[in-house]
Amino acid sequence: MTGPMGPLDHAAVDELGAAFALGALEPDELRAVIEHLESCPEPHAELRSFLGAGDVLAASLEPMAPSTGLRDRLMGTIAATPQADVRVPTPVAPSAAPAVEPRRGGLLDWLSPNLARGLAAAAVIVAIAFGIWNVSLLGQLSARDRALQAVAQALQGGKTAFRVNPNGFNAPSGYLVADSSGQASLIVGGLAPLEGNKLYELWLIGPDNKPVAVGTFVPSSEEVAVVPLERSISGFTTFAVTAETHRVDAPTLPILMSAKLTS
Amino acid sequence: MTDPTPHDDVLAQRIRSGDREALGVLYDRYASLALAAALRVVADREVAEDLVHDAFVAVWCKIDKFDPGRGSLRSWLLTVVRNRAIDRVRGARKTIEVGEADAQSLLRSGPNPTWEAAVQRLSVADLRGAIEALPGEQRQAIELAYFAGHTYREIATITGVPQGTANGRLRLALNKLRDTLASSTAAPLGAPEPLPVREADR
Repeated sequence: MTGPMGPLDHAAVDELGAAFALGALEPDELRAVIEHLESCPEPHAELRSFLGAGDVLAASLEPMAPSTGLRDRLMGTIAATPQADVRVPTPVAPSAAPAVEPRRGGLLDWLSPNLARGLAAAAVIVAIAFGIWNVSLLGQLSARDRALQAVAQALQGGKTAFRVNPNGFNAPSGYLVADSSGQASLIVGGLAPLEGNKLYELWLIGPDNKPVAVGTFVPSSEEVAVVPLERSISGFTTFAVTAETHRVDAPTLPILMSAKLTS
Repeated sequence: MTDPTPHDDVLAQRIRSGDREALGVLYDRYASLALAAALRVVADREVAEDLVHDAFVAVWCKIDKFDPGRGSLRSWLLTVVRNRAIDRVRGARKTIEVGEADAQSLLRSGPNPTWEAAVQRLSVADLRGAIEALPGEQRQAIELAYFAGHTYREIATITGVPQGTANGRLRLALNKLRDTLASSTAAPLGAPEPLPVREADR
């Protein structure tokens, strides 16, 4: 059966009930079943009796303890994620157009971390930096070298990185290291503490140019700062760092450091 | 004093009010189950943990969409995890968008007594036993559908049977599984009142 489906009768809907309950219908069939149910006075008792079957399948699996750090990561994310903020990062354009109009939004706001091209380009940059770092091993490791080492180790773990450049600011370069899901950390060495008890605040900026605060930190002199971002970088185009007197919801210019998150 | 073991509905209310600790309790309660479900689909622990993380964040952000009258918080969470995992697998294969598969959860008029009772009252081993008691081709069909995200047409191709046969196996499997679980839990079967349908509130 191919192409758009016409209306389904009761029997056809009942026949598809199990596949419906298990999410095993083609999009056109799913739409047709939903359209039928929306206007049908019949109880479709069998179909209804199947709803929820997936819960049993999921519950038949042996539970598996997550890594110890996952809870902290989650709590860090939600601490910076307002519930009222229903805006979700716009996924990077998928490599293949969906065959049907996606019904995203709500709980289907899957954060598609399709960052391959951008990350690959950034990885090249970091690979070069890694080479420089190897040369620097001839001398004592500086904070910046240790930052590069941390980046390199992250890359060896399958992660990639974006270079974070100072914007006319007397600061070293850093790297934003991201995993395949878009979870990222800023790694920067030798970043001086700010005067006046200010702190660094991290921002992600999307195509709508609205900055989203994703963390703050106060570095120790000559130490390597590794700062996890509080949300995925998926869908954002720019990473930025500003100086603030306290955590704020809107950045204070100038932008001290920034990275472009697209290739 | 805070209830150390609040019911899921209480947790949902607390999460809705912005109580991060409640989300932590929910995580402690279901993260291992969510991870098992995600891992069963994506077969990559790191990816599975990312999915679990994102699913709990989604619960946090979208708790106002949760309606306890349409199902349990646990079921809602697992639906999110499963659909995201399927999306991930599908994306890797460059196949169609399957987000609409979640529509079935939107059509729930309430927790189905049979499945809900089975999850509440039976052990993991009992549930697995009920599934494993299905004829092999039926078990394979529902596992390909639920855990691999295949449509019945794809299952037909994979298993080399006509589409009607693949669809029929799903139907037979769920009927048999439902009846088996109903007898195990002595729970009533789904009430026959009309199925109310709601527009996706998203």
